Amino acid sequence: MRTAAKVVVTLAAGALAVYLPFTLGPGNLTLYTLMGLAAIVAIGLSLLMGFAGQISLGQGAFYALGAYVVGILATPADLFPKGRGLDPLLALVAAPLACALVAAVLGVPLLRLRGHYLAFATLALHLIALALIFTWESWTGGQIGLIGIPPLEVAGRTVTGEWHAAVVWGIAVVTLLIGLSLVASRAGRALRAIATSETAAAAAGINVAGYKLQLFVFSAALAGLAGGMYAYLLQYLSPDAFPLIVSITFVVMVAVGGMGSLYGAVLGAVAITWLQDRLQQLGTRQELLGFDLPVQAPQVFSIGVFGAILIGVMLFFPRGLLPGLQELARRARRGRLGTLAASR
Amino acid sequence: MIGISTGSAFALVGIGMVLIHRTSGIVNFAQGSFAVLGGLFMVRLVDDLPSGVAGLVTVVIVAVVGALMGLIAVGIRGRTTALASLIITLGLALVVSSLELLEFGDRPHTYPAVSEHAWNVRGVVIQPQYALVIGVTIAASLLLALALRRTIVGHALVACADSSRAAELVGLNVRTLAMIAFAVSAGLAALGGLLVTPVVPVNYDSDVAIAVNAFAAAAFGGLGSIGFAFVGGLVLGISEQLVVGYVDPQYNLAIALVIMLVLIGWRSRHEVVT
Repeated sequence: MRTAAKVVVTLAAGALAVYLPFTLGPGNLTLYTLMGLAAIVAIGLSLLMGFAGQISLGQGAFYALGAYVVGILATPADLFPKGRGLDPLLALVAAPLACALVAAVLGVPLLRLRGHYLAFATLALHLIALALIFTWESWTGGQIGLIGIPPLEVAGRTVTGEWHAAVVWGIAVVTLLIGLSLVASRAGRALRAIATSETAAAAAGINVAGYKLQLFVFSAALAGLAGGMYAYLLQYLSPDAFPLIVSITFVVMVAVGGMGSLYGAVLGAVAITWLQDRLQQLGTRQELLGFDLPVQAPQVFSIGVFGAILIGVMLFFPRGLLPGLQELARRARRGRLGTLAASR
Repeated sequence: MIGISTGSAFALVGIGMVLIHRTSGIVNFAQGSFAVLGGLFMVRLVDDLPSGVAGLVTVVIVAVVGALMGLIAVGIRGRTTALASLIITLGLALVVSSLELLEFGDRPHTYPAVSEHAWNVRGVVIQPQYALVIGVTIAASLLLALALRRTIVGHALVACADSSRAAELVGLNVRTLAMIAFAVSAGLAALGGLLVTPVVPVNYDSDVAIAVNAFAAAAFGGLGSIGFAFVGGLVLGISEQLVVGYVDPQYNLAIALVIMLVLIGWRSRHEVVT
């Protein structure tokens, strides 16, 4: 019964999320689209981190790969020399496939690593991706960038603005539903067992390496799909669109939202995207609270203040915002008894 | 030679990482920031002070910064998870790099090497700065190893590394020890950073690459051995330079990172086997 109610609520919220772009002003539309894109990546990463216990600081690399696959395949050759000018929808389908393929090949050696080793190795993956974007100039446009990506087109209709946002959130909702059903299935139980103890899971007959690889591939494909939609949003790609902080931010979204909760991942994605946007806005102002802001302010705000907030959240809610708030609510309900237990 | 000297710097930063990991269980992502801070402060101070004094002042300043960061990174007792600690140190790295950006701007900084005049030893040209980096690295690692073995604080750190619970039971303050470990490794990283700055200019956002390389050096010894971290740093520095020399230099960054990946993978597999 609980599950049925959950599905209904999720579907209703999802329908609302898809409908929302049509009521938003153009100023908020891009932000809303970015939230949806982040949610797609965060759901995939949450599955990988919360349920298979693998930290990946390299999702940004797959995000970038998906975007460049779309950029190269969809851009007409007269606008970008290496462009293929394929059907935009076909290019969008190719993005997650390419990411899945790369993840499957890289995952075999990478997933032998655990914990911090995997975190740093995947971080290196992002650095390598950036280095390659700079080096393979004829394919990626290098520092100058890849210009002339057409908007997404489905059955002869161009998908831009609010329609683009609706498609992104549609994908996010479908991803969430797939994720939820995966978690509730036999595979989900196996994954939770792996997250608790790989040795015990293997002893119970679970194919640990196989499950981990499948989930790594799945999360990479999701990042690639989101990256592809990101390329259609920007219609222009350069390495500056994929700084290292992108990969870090995805992990932060999952951690802040709460490990092991897919709803938390969506919440984290929305909250962090909103926060970064607000900080960027603050940084571009001339003055704040009577102080003149220096020229570096946008970067200082979006990096430094972001980092400071991150430290605060992790110090006081080490398990993430959603579980932390749930605990606070439980404590408030229990009243004095709860405070006593907490102080002890 | 440049490989050995950058490798030595990675080793110094990596040794700090090992020290912190062993005493507090935290893998410090902000370790690269200490090296960058060291380089930047040195550039600022070297104009007004004799270089030896400037170096000393820099190391002390960064060590104090490190102790403060250690206090934050250890977090609230019993509540901070491993992932939370990693993200807190990530957050610290972000805060530090934005402050560096504010204070030093977004251009790479450097200062003149000890001597522009290269030595010629039987046909092999040696830059004095390189020799200095290597010498200081060896001296610092030996000193650290000696201090861990011969002083009370050193013993306490080692005890804490073996089992923090047991250390607590015999009355050691684990939080203070973690702060000491952070301070010492921040000082070491600053030393590494300020010594290579004349060779490799330093920028506010150099910290990530340094942290990743230092982690590779530390991972060479399974995050547990100072000696292996030292060797790991050298292997990394030299092999990166060899690749740059013999393969297309266009790919040097990508290949350096792949080597690092291999190094991380190779050691961690060893660890699983043993």
